[in-house]
Amino acid sequence: MRFLKYFAKRLLHSIFVLLGLSVLVFVIARVIPGDPARMALGPRAPESVVQKFREELHLDKPIYIQYYYWIKGAIRGDFGRSLFTKRSVASDIKEFFPATLELMLFTGIVMSLLGIFLGVLSARYSNRWPDNLVRIISYMGVCTPAFVFAILFLLLFGYLLNILPTIGRLSPYITPPPVRTGLITIDSLIARNFPAFFDGIKHLIMPGIALALGPMAQEARITRSSMTDNLQRDFIALERSQAIPERRILTKYLMRISIIPTVSVLGLDFASQLGWAFLVELIFNWPGLSRYGINVMLNKDLNAIVAVIMVIGLMFLVVNIIVDIIVATLDPRIRLGAERSK
Amino acid sequence: MKKVCFICFLLLLLPALLIWAGGEKVAEKPAPAKEVKRELRVTEAWPTYIDPAVGSDFSSSISLVNLYDSLVYPTPKGDVIPHLAERWEASKDGMTWTFYLRKGVKFHDGSELTAEDVAFSMDRIMTIGEGYGYLFAGRVKKSEAVDKYTVRFYMTSPYGPFLTTLVRLYILNKDQVMAHIKPDGPYGEFGDYGKEWLLTHDAGSGAYKVKEMRLEEYLLMEKFDDYWGTFKPNAPDLVKLIGTTEAVTIRTMMARRELEISDQWQTSEALKALDAIEGIDIATMYLGTVFYYMIHTKKPPTDDVNFRKAMAWAMDYKTVREKLFPGAREARGPVPVGFPGHYPDFTRYERNLDKAREYLKKSKYYNKLDQYPVEVHWIAEVPDEEKVALLFMSNMADIGIKVNVVKVPWLGVVEEMTNIDTSPHIVTVFVAPHYAEAGSLLESRYHSRSAATWEQNEWLLDSQIDAMIEKAITTIDREARFKLYQDIQKKIDEICPSLFMFEQAQKHAYQAAYIEWPAIIKENKIPVMGYDFDARFIQVFPEKKK
Repeated sequence: MRFLKYFAKRLLHSIFVLLGLSVLVFVIARVIPGDPARMALGPRAPESVVQKFREELHLDKPIYIQYYYWIKGAIRGDFGRSLFTKRSVASDIKEFFPATLELMLFTGIVMSLLGIFLGVLSARYSNRWPDNLVRIISYMGVCTPAFVFAILFLLLFGYLLNILPTIGRLSPYITPPPVRTGLITIDSLIARNFPAFFDGIKHLIMPGIALALGPMAQEARITRSSMTDNLQRDFIALERSQAIPERRILTKYLMRISIIPTVSVLGLDFASQLGWAFLVELIFNWPGLSRYGINVMLNKDLNAIVAVIMVIGLMFLVVNIIVDIIVATLDPRIRLGAERSK
Repeated sequence: MKKVCFICFLLLLLPALLIWAGGEKVAEKPAPAKEVKRELRVTEAWPTYIDPAVGSDFSSSISLVNLYDSLVYPTPKGDVIPHLAERWEASKDGMTWTFYLRKGVKFHDGSELTAEDVAFSMDRIMTIGEGYGYLFAGRVKKSEAVDKYTVRFYMTSPYGPFLTTLVRLYILNKDQVMAHIKPDGPYGEFGDYGKEWLLTHDAGSGAYKVKEMRLEEYLLMEKFDDYWGTFKPNAPDLVKLIGTTEAVTIRTMMARRELEISDQWQTSEALKALDAIEGIDIATMYLGTVFYYMIHTKKPPTDDVNFRKAMAWAMDYKTVREKLFPGAREARGPVPVGFPGHYPDFTRYERNLDKAREYLKKSKYYNKLDQYPVEVHWIAEVPDEEKVALLFMSNMADIGIKVNVVKVPWLGVVEEMTNIDTSPHIVTVFVAPHYAEAGSLLESRYHSRSAATWEQNEWLLDSQIDAMIEKAITTIDREARFKLYQDIQKKIDEICPSLFMFEQAQKHAYQAAYIEWPAIIKENKIPVMGYDFDARFIQVFPEKKK
């Protein structure tokens, strides 16, 4: 019960964080130079039309009044109109967010599975050739930006080998599944449209892996370091002295405690893909929220900028809460610590 | 550990349940298209606005040309020929224009195009005021459907280039738009004027109709079989505008023959790489975009005409054209060579240090050059402009003029150009004509109305030039109007308010092995943005793909 209360409190804190974020972003978006109404209508639109548009957007009013209008709409799920796409921001988010979410989920699966596997492998064969190999892979992964991987993959698998699709989420000859969640893989499974499912997966491979390699390398290093540290702990020596098989020590006792730092970082890496994926989305012409976010910022699309940052902020909060739950489940001491702190 | 296994089991079970219990069966087979369709795929910078009252950039113009029809159609010479309008007449005073429409033109929904639709389209674009609306707002007072096939426009004052600008009035199906109006829009009884619906649908009569529009991704258009006009025998069945300009993506797609024409934003290195692929050639086009060095004429030392002429003679234009912007054409004056209304005797500037020094000596700042450094602001988003700015700095140093080169983001430049005091000595900007006549560039660049906008850093504020421009654009007779345009250019030549660096070359990589694109031949090029991409004149031969 206390545990539930603790998370309810976390949720309440999150609302205040989001509110603070909205004020901050709202103000910052409005101090960027340039007249958003003029930018939206073009340099040649008559001044009377631009002025009318300013009034429609409440840009002629003080900033706190503008914020009042915005928050009033946002509570109802109305984030105003996008100056870039010329339709409601809510429709844009609804259309673009699932594409990025699908990419993030694929990336998350790849980076967590591979990252933890490589980390465990590295720790298990510490200072031997598998560890050295993983170290080289990790360094390459950490220091190479995702867009470089994206370009390399595109050239290798798209241009030279010609085995993977280059752009978009689905091939033109595939019938798309009816939209339920907006995630093509899930929607095609629901509709039992397997060609669309496999085609969707094929489209996810290059951008997903390009995005996953950096965080995966980081996860591998953190897992390895945490496991090698814990291997020196007394309880491991005790378990070994009791002739418990090495594999059992590794999977049952060591793994559980060692992946806690990995899970924490994994959560942050996962959520940050929402903001960082824009170059990869550009390269693969992926119609996602990250690319949309950059476009609206370049076009000073005030309502859309605030909404996109709010969505990213919300994702960070949700992922953090999920990570806290997972960590508390993995390590009872953390959970009990939270309860005692009451 | 058991718990973890149980959670994993549940996670695996969930999609299985979704598939077998919650799922519903869709099409037995997603039926991949077996017949070979002629497909034309073009990449362009996003966004693409397919609403004729909203879109006006390059990709929007390409889509509008294909989805809609206009009353008149531009020719390679820059004049117009009948299109939806079979003929027209203007009143003697130029205050009314009457157009007689072609009968039997069908919209994509099968209904007939009438004068009501034309009047509605004009009212709509002027009320919304976006896109190409600026061409008509303030010029057209009223539009009237005289009868089913006759439409009349009443002007606020005579407007000579009116006929030329009508290539940008795309005719919408009134009934279809009215059926999709959202009542809570800003246009009174017209609600949102169908703007939201027209973002992803068309209401046109053009040679192609929207099949699918996915914002930020692509616009797919299919051939309209009931089109009144003609198609080339192997015109594409499908036209796809893909929203990307990423060099690697484009190179990969072109090599895989998944893309027929690239956008014009590729770097020279990327174009060189594309050119090296078998079957791909580079098409060069000139749409009248001029790269200007806009000189502030009210700020010392550039307020002195001799100082400006000294700079004009000291600049090495040839190096800019040949080394920095290969393929660019010599610009002789504010109006590109060959553009309707160009003045052929405009001073032909080239690097001549003797002449430059001669003019500099006549300048009132000659003996105090070090007190008056010249500040050049180049646009941060166009990195190649820096090379030109540095060359300018070096060229000016040869005659003793000190130049400070400053990188400024586009929004910053637009902001500083709104005020005569904050505008720098020189701003480097590309300007494209609004319509295919000299009057477009002359008005947007040098009329006092455009001062305080990004189109004029010169701050001419010259009532004589304003009057000359007004007189020219209100002259209905084409020849007389062109003569007046030339007089204006003569005057501009005298006061040298700008450096005309070059006329921009627009380059596209295209699949020369299996498409026939009329625009690659100089005589076929239409100097109006988007019209070279009228897909019904482009032929695709998929069987020739290698």
